[in-house]
Amino acid sequence: MTNPAEVKNLYKTYRSGGWFASRKENKPVLQDVSLSLGEREILGLVGESGCGKSTLAKVLLGLEDYQSGSVKVEGLELKELDKAGFKRLRRRLQVVFQDPYSSLDPRMSVRQILCEPWDIHGLHKDRAKRKKTLEELVRSVGLDPAHLDRYPHEFSGGQRQRVALARALALEPRVLVADEPVSALDVSVQAQILNLLKDVSRARALSMLFISHDFAVARFLCDRIAVMYQGRIVECAPARTLLDNPQHPYTRALLDAVPSPDPSARKDFEPAVLKSSVRREQCSCPYAPRCRYYRAACNRPFALTDDGKGHWCACALKPFNKSQTAERFHGGTHERND
Amino acid sequence: MNAQEENVLSVEDLRVAFRCEAGRAEVLHGLSYRLPKGKVLAVVGESGCGKTVHALSLLKLLPPGGEITCGRIMYAGKDVLKLPAEALRRLRGAKISMIFQDPMTSLNPIRTVGKQLTETILAHTSCSKLRAQALAVRLLKKVGIENARLRMKQYPFQFSGGQRQRIMIAMALCLRPDVLVADEPTTALDVTIQAQILHLIKSLQKQSGMSVVFITHNLALVAGVADDVLVLYGGYCVEKASVRDLFANPLHPYTRGLLQSLVSLKEKTERLPAIEGYPPAPGEEQKGCPFAPRCPHAWEKCRTQLPPLFESGAHEARCWLVENK
Repeated sequence: MTNPAEVKNLYKTYRSGGWFASRKENKPVLQDVSLSLGEREILGLVGESGCGKSTLAKVLLGLEDYQSGSVKVEGLELKELDKAGFKRLRRRLQVVFQDPYSSLDPRMSVRQILCEPWDIHGLHKDRAKRKKTLEELVRSVGLDPAHLDRYPHEFSGGQRQRVALARALALEPRVLVADEPVSALDVSVQAQILNLLKDVSRARALSMLFISHDFAVARFLCDRIAVMYQGRIVECAPARTLLDNPQHPYTRALLDAVPSPDPSARKDFEPAVLKSSVRREQCSCPYAPRCRYYRAACNRPFALTDDGKGHWCACALKPFNKSQTAERFHGGTHERND
Repeated sequence: MNAQEENVLSVEDLRVAFRCEAGRAEVLHGLSYRLPKGKVLAVVGESGCGKTVHALSLLKLLPPGGEITCGRIMYAGKDVLKLPAEALRRLRGAKISMIFQDPMTSLNPIRTVGKQLTETILAHTSCSKLRAQALAVRLLKKVGIENARLRMKQYPFQFSGGQRQRIMIAMALCLRPDVLVADEPTTALDVTIQAQILHLIKSLQKQSGMSVVFITHNLALVAGVADDVLVLYGGYCVEKASVRDLFANPLHPYTRGLLQSLVSLKEKTERLPAIEGYPPAPGEEQKGCPFAPRCPHAWEKCRTQLPPLFESGAHEARCWLVENK
């Protein structure tokens, strides 16, 4: 059976330097990215800003071009699709963006926003049926059908994100890409939207690529989590395994930086140190200059490898196995004193 | 907060209103607190709850249309709100300084970072330009910017978001203020950089005994940095307590809801206990408790009468449930 979405050996570069730049450079943003999204799976993509996670989403949605590799949605190679084929695919592949303030047209009422996809694809032409479907759709995201003739500015952020989700679901897609859908929302509303995303994805048997910078949110929602650093996937595993037993030093550093909501477990935030002695060009690991476990082995090329249980990690050392602690590699000298 | 401690800043019954079509809408309804020396007070709330308006009022920086209708802000025995313009100018940046939420827009894009830093120093002290520059370089190094001397000559766009925020912090701290008002200083940043910024603020605060008003919507951060917490909802202070009390024994249903809806990193939950409904829009007319429409415990009294801040030891909460306890 084909996976709903699949990315293989994807490379993408951005041209940097404008018209007047003396030297134009190709800046790599995605390097050898391979990921597959399973049937009814919610795959989390976590990383810092600028790591390429949104670019990957855009490539998957066909909104950005790519240099080499393969991007397949429902078994169809995006590059080989013509315009009509792409339009057909769009019905099965939808997106919710981060900012509900800028992703909804301020001059369209909610009714117009939600009916537009149907008009484009020529669906639900019967007026009575359309009215009924529209009301069901609106209720399924927790909005009141009485508010259909309101405009986006009359809604709060959480409600707007519900509208954006309803628009994405209008075409009954199989694959949903959610690019940081809750990070612009208030804490008390965030929980509502997360619950809604979970319910909706189950009820509609959706496969979802969920992009986030928040591990806690990813843990709640996702089946599997992939961690990205500088355009590469550095670790990918089932959510629980990844968070309870992170293998890559970068994942570890990210998890350490998450503040704990418990005043008695207060930790002294330790700033990450950038070792300027390690030159990026000489090592094959992009994280080496920031890594506290850097060793000569990091200079040799290595790939994302599997431990046999679906835990993929791109680290030459893999220092955090429960059986083999960091001490084994460093004699305890680099252990943190926390 | 006990009475023996020296208070650097005290705010009494601060009310702020904005002009709107219907006349005037009050967005902050009587906020009072004391900030002891060397302590971190966290002000927690959602967007539109009045936390930024409160921060701007502390330095009389409200945008046009906003007006402080009532209240006092006492600093060093004087009311900031009654100071003449010149005295206020000398106070801003030197005694009470501020870090704004968005490091991308709060630096001047067409002046070098060095110019902007020395400008602040020269405006408030009588030291020479060279000394001001030396001080600026020292500060940049202190906030962890490498090659500080070279980077003084660079423009804001040549720095990353985290570095820009660190420059803002350097600028806010260059005159060793007594009070730092940090308005969501890490919201736009990644967790690793957030950790660096918090580390920086905390270590500088320990060194110089500065007091901090830390405004945020992130309760996990509050747990990490604050001594005392003030929870705002719909322009009202709904709960005030020490950080340990607040997390161990939240009294207000809103605070309880917020704490419950925090997503845990440690364990997988099937459903999040969310607070239903949406926060009120700023300036929205409301009768009774601002949280009543969303509160699971609300009864008739809550909808008609605004509860006062009830005290329960050092812990205060604006809820009728606390009265009955």
